[in-house]
Amino acid sequence: MIDARHIETERLILRLPDAMDFDKWADFKASTRARMAGGMQCRAEAWRSFAHMVGHWTLRGFGWFVVTGKDEGRSLGIVGAHFPEGWPERELGWTIWSADDEGRGYASEAARAARDWVFGDLGWSTAVSYIAPQNTKSIRLAERLGARRDPDASQPHDAPCLVYRHHAPGVPR
Amino acid sequence: MTDVPVLTTERLTLRAPRLADFEPYAAFFASERSVHEGGPLDRVQSWREFATAIAAWTLRGYGVWSIEDRGTGAYLGETGLFHPDYYPEAELGWTLIPEAEGKGFAHEAALAARGWAYDIAGLATLVSYIAPANVRSIRLAERLDARPDPDADRPEHDPCLVYRHPAPETLR
Repeated sequence: MIDARHIETERLILRLPDAMDFDKWADFKASTRARMAGGMQCRAEAWRSFAHMVGHWTLRGFGWFVVTGKDEGRSLGIVGAHFPEGWPERELGWTIWSADDEGRGYASEAARAARDWVFGDLGWSTAVSYIAPQNTKSIRLAERLGARRDPDASQPHDAPCLVYRHHAPGVPR
Repeated sequence: MTDVPVLTTERLTLRAPRLADFEPYAAFFASERSVHEGGPLDRVQSWREFATAIAAWTLRGYGVWSIEDRGTGAYLGETGLFHPDYYPEAELGWTLIPEAEGKGFAHEAALAARGWAYDIAGLATLVSYIAPANVRSIRLAERLDARPDPDADRPEHDPCLVYRHPAPETLR
């Protein structure tokens, strides 16, 4: 099994998902906000997608972290790297679960840490972010992170989306 | 994350599933042989099944093992405990790739998994959900001394038979 992973930023802790996170995940997947993050799901489907995130760590050695606030320890969303079977390449992604937690820079802080992790610790040279065309907040964040639209990149079959490409620092393009 | 225990039987090793197991797993689920196990599934669906089953170790503290031939190291299938949110209780399940059938491997593996579930994980009861047409699995359940439990709750929308295994104290 992989080592427990844990990333700290100024205000956040990124940690592996565990059973305690499931109820919040199921609530998020039952909300309309999930439309821009893989789609809405009933609780049984949400269990499968949640367990998929957990098992993905075992199979790939990387995956989604749960983002928690250092102050309250509350979970705010997920950030991380995702590469399930059938996807053309590895994704760097982020989702804040509740609108109440938006607008505070959490997604940006978490995504920067995750980006440093995939390009630093994991040694990737590139990653993509798959973003729903109507998800203007995520598009803006991708651009602030220096990612650019890659219209030639393949997409996962199940979700037509925009592909934003990130490059590792110092890697020739 | 939870460390997955390694169980050793006379002929088999039960160990944590890993990425290399996905190819034979997906090949099995792509075949008609998987019809009683929820298949056939394409590779994307198989991946989700495989990852979901593995996750139980973290989410429940128990889960599935990959079955390996002790002599050759060959992958033979999966056995262990399934307990997604939509199951009323923990299930003991087994799946062998076709080449491994007919040698008593599923029985040997399931016995070891059940022993671990009762003696180490401390589960008080176990069921096996079996498709009514899955004659081989029904035979194995009976060989494990499990019996039909018509009053047991089933996973939603699943018209399976429920076989209940003997209680831990009756096996000691």
